Amino acid sequence: MGSSIRKAIELILSADPELLNILATTAKVCLTSSVIALILGVPLGILYGAGRFPGRRVLLVLNRTLMGMPPVVCGLLFYLLFSGVGPFRHLHLLFTVPLMILAQVVLITPIVVGTMETFVADTAPALRETAKGLGFGPGKQFRLLVNECVYPIFSAYLLSFARAIAEVGAVAMVGGAIAWKTNVMTTAIMTYTNRGSFTLGIALGLILLSLSLLVNVVLSLLQRRFSQ
Amino acid sequence: MKKIVSLILALVMIFALAACGQSAAPTTTEAPAPAEEPASEAQTAETEPEQPEEPEVDALLVDTCILMEADDAMINNYSLLAVNPEAPFVDADGKPVDDVELNTVGAAALINWLLSEEGQELAANFGYEEYGEYLFYLKDGRPVSTAEIPEATEETRLIRLSTTTSVNDSGLLGYLLPIFEEKYGYEVEVYSAGTGKSIGNAKMGNADLILVHSKSQEEAFVADGFAYVLDGMPGERLTWMYNYFVLCGPSADPAGVKEAPDVKAAFAAIADGKYSFISRGDGSGTHTKELSLWPEELGISAEPESFKDYADWYISANAGMGACLVMAEEMGAYILTDKATFLTFVANDGKIG
Repeated sequence: MGSSIRKAIELILSADPELLNILATTAKVCLTSSVIALILGVPLGILYGAGRFPGRRVLLVLNRTLMGMPPVVCGLLFYLLFSGVGPFRHLHLLFTVPLMILAQVVLITPIVVGTMETFVADTAPALRETAKGLGFGPGKQFRLLVNECVYPIFSAYLLSFARAIAEVGAVAMVGGAIAWKTNVMTTAIMTYTNRGSFTLGIALGLILLSLSLLVNVVLSLLQRRFSQ
Repeated sequence: MKKIVSLILALVMIFALAACGQSAAPTTTEAPAPAEEPASEAQTAETEPEQPEEPEVDALLVDTCILMEADDAMINNYSLLAVNPEAPFVDADGKPVDDVELNTVGAAALINWLLSEEGQELAANFGYEEYGEYLFYLKDGRPVSTAEIPEATEETRLIRLSTTTSVNDSGLLGYLLPIFEEKYGYEVEVYSAGTGKSIGNAKMGNADLILVHSKSQEEAFVADGFAYVLDGMPGERLTWMYNYFVLCGPSADPAGVKEAPDVKAAFAAIADGKYSFISRGDGSGTHTKELSLWPEELGISAEPESFKDYADWYISANAGMGACLVMAEEMGAYILTDKATFLTFVANDGKIG
């Protein structure tokens, strides 16, 4: 481990252009996909949690099933759809960053929805009582709910970001780990491992963990500030 | 307590990132050398307690060495195949797809360049400076191209090459392709996997050409109609360079492989003495070659059933070449590998974390 830590620090200090490219691609893919998942997932989660409409239970069960979708299955599905022989072949999206983002959005949106739904289902009834007592209309009720949800929104984002940055199956399938284009941290670790460069793999893993830590610390601080 | 630990870690990370930014910015000037030095000095100072470990790591040279090479049965041929735009592509449900878009112009340009005098000379000289040995040799009677290579246009710029890990990991493509790209304005995307997966990727319409090393799999690809003959070329399979598979093992060589008259006898000696042998076991070109070298009466094939009686010494790793080499080094086992990957492995000191 000692030599791996040294190697990780050496790697960062050397500012190797390929490493910087991998880091930039990783950041682009994970940040974009997790933000899109948040934008899609939060309203949907509130709707599932607070809404009362027919078919809600079915949708919930579906969502919980999707939460457990193996990344490699998601990747395989997109590989087949966007392959040279697939139905969406004319879009020329296979082995590009946008398709990696799309696959990750499909993978992590259910996690945001699930987290939000759990929280909202718990707080919505009491909140509705209060709002009714104060004579709020539906619009104001919704805004009050969102206001209450700041803390879980941060938690949902962190969960989805963690899933996005950690998964390898989907990005490897649809991205193809092409150097200078679609190679991200996790696929680079796979490549190095296959070449027998375990130390370099661990070094990249340490950098990945440190980045994840950094994002978590920053967001946790923000979470505390905004939810007070 | 937790808070303090995470804050300290965050600070370390911020420091590292800041240092990274500092050294990244002025790389073109002469200034960074003194700026970087204190940082690395500080680093050595920090890791001082681990110093006693250092010499041991340095002394850990690779024990695995080449025991047999240049046997005719161990020739490793590399071929280029242009993917046929009229190939009988089928989608995941087996329905025919007749409008797969391929960059045939780009694929032809890359093949013509690799087979041109310039491309061949570059490939033949590759690796000599770094390893003191040639990694790839040109084949006698190879196809040579004198065709004019067109400059890239907006439609033909992107070329998708599906290839095997050995040509990519040895650094050959990283050496050749930038020269080609610079000269003609193309951009080559390299998809690198085992030969089986590479060919599968091309059959899904995701590659314009393939560069692989498994004769039987290439012939099946041609027979299925997935390759076609380029103008002025002798056939679909353009075999132009080769190197050797090498049989490696512990330097003590308990099986006496070095004295064996040929590679088949060497494999028989390993099997006789039940010395550990690491097999790729992943359907790659190297795996296919290894299976053909065992004495026939053992009946070793790709089926797990066929070697279950030899499980005490025949290890089917199902992993990449590098990972298998590390395994062989750790276990003092014998292994079949392509020479280029082995030399790269030794140059890396075969170190593990």
